[in-house]
Amino acid sequence: MKTEKMKKLSSVLTAIEAKPLTNRAEADLTGCYISDLLSDVLAHASHGVLWITIHTHRNVISCATTKDIGAVLFVCGRKPDPGVVTEADAEGIVLLSTKLAAYEAAGKLWEAGLR
Amino acid sequence: MSPATAVEKPSNPGEKTQVSFAQVLVYELRVRDAMTSVAFTASATDSLRSIQHLMKAHRISGVPILTDGTLVGIVSIEDIISALDQGHINESAERWMSRKIVTLRDHYSLVRAVAEFDRHGFGRFPVLDVNHRLVGIITRGDITACLMHHLERRAEEAIAKEAALAATRAEDEKAQRVVINADVKSGDFDSAGKLSQRMREVLRSRGIDPDARRRAAVIAYEAETNIIIHSLGGRMSVSIDPQKVCIEAVDSGPGIENVDLAMQDGWSTAGPLARELGFGAGMGLPNIKRCSDKFEINSVMSGGTRLRCEVLLPPATAPSNPEMPL
Repeated sequence: MKTEKMKKLSSVLTAIEAKPLTNRAEADLTGCYISDLLSDVLAHASHGVLWITIHTHRNVISCATTKDIGAVLFVCGRKPDPGVVTEADAEGIVLLSTKLAAYEAAGKLWEAGLR
Repeated sequence: MSPATAVEKPSNPGEKTQVSFAQVLVYELRVRDAMTSVAFTASATDSLRSIQHLMKAHRISGVPILTDGTLVGIVSIEDIISALDQGHINESAERWMSRKIVTLRDHYSLVRAVAEFDRHGFGRFPVLDVNHRLVGIITRGDITACLMHHLERRAEEAIAKEAALAATRAEDEKAQRVVINADVKSGDFDSAGKLSQRMREVLRSRGIDPDARRRAAVIAYEAETNIIIHSLGGRMSVSIDPQKVCIEAVDSGPGIENVDLAMQDGWSTAGPLARELGFGAGMGLPNIKRCSDKFEINSVMSGGTRLRCEVLLPPATAPSNPEMPL
């Protein structure tokens, strides 16, 4: 079980200067995955990761639920349409947005202990 | 008195003895189950001639002789033949009947009855109850008929039970099968994942193993987006059984020119819009194959593509396991 390696999303939020877009703002994270190719996420992301992407289309939600990914971080200040946020709330997925680029966000997450 | 061994086969020591159902039956069934009740008796004072008529009229081969209700002898067809031969057919039974009668008790097991037949070589035994009253006659034929009757009855019961069980099982499986069908439109990127979402909900509610659930979800999602991105439109069908999920994706064309190439990681023919949305990584089919326990793809140019995948489901655990933070 990965339980002991889980990290609370709330404990890394300030490090990446991220704001939750969804009503839900907490998730247990097993790690992190960065990709803008949906099939790559489907193929290689573990369940329970924080997914970092620039895509804000609703396909991200479908893809995340398919892999049991609980939180998605949109980088470079991107924000999805309100419909996508509503859908994420319905699926229990936390959506976040940061002004940082993927590389910077990932570095700060690593420093904050999400490994 | 030797124990009954008539139906027991010698078994090698150490070898597991297989007991046939007939062997069980000969221990379970009693003489009273197999015997025929006594319809005709004669008294010791009756003539052998009258007994011969009785036998002829009723096609019986032995008549018990009673005196005051007690069995005192038996006249068999052999006794009649020798009486005819030696000219004492008109004499009374008393003098010529067989008096040394071996009887069986009605509560004896059939295996013991068989042993008695083997030991004495008689064709029939009179059967007495606990009060020494004559209650029946038993022959080897009676034992065989009785065994056959019981074997047949048990076989019929077993067949009926099996059939009932199979019917229940089929009904259960039918009740437990969920089929989701959905038309998938070409280019409808906004709807991608709707079908796999419904499938996931069913799998989750059934407490299906998370890994199997995710693999089925990836297959359904990739297959659905393949139809959206590459085809002229098609249809998805997902059937969920207790043992497996079967995902079928059929489109109406244009077909995959080179399936082997399409199965290679990174090879894609996706257009710019699809790529803009994060599709077209060229990983769809390889992803599907990797997640499938059974994978079939057929494609005909200008005909269409048919994909069929199966994910085998391990026995479900309780859905209460909070394995996912979702």
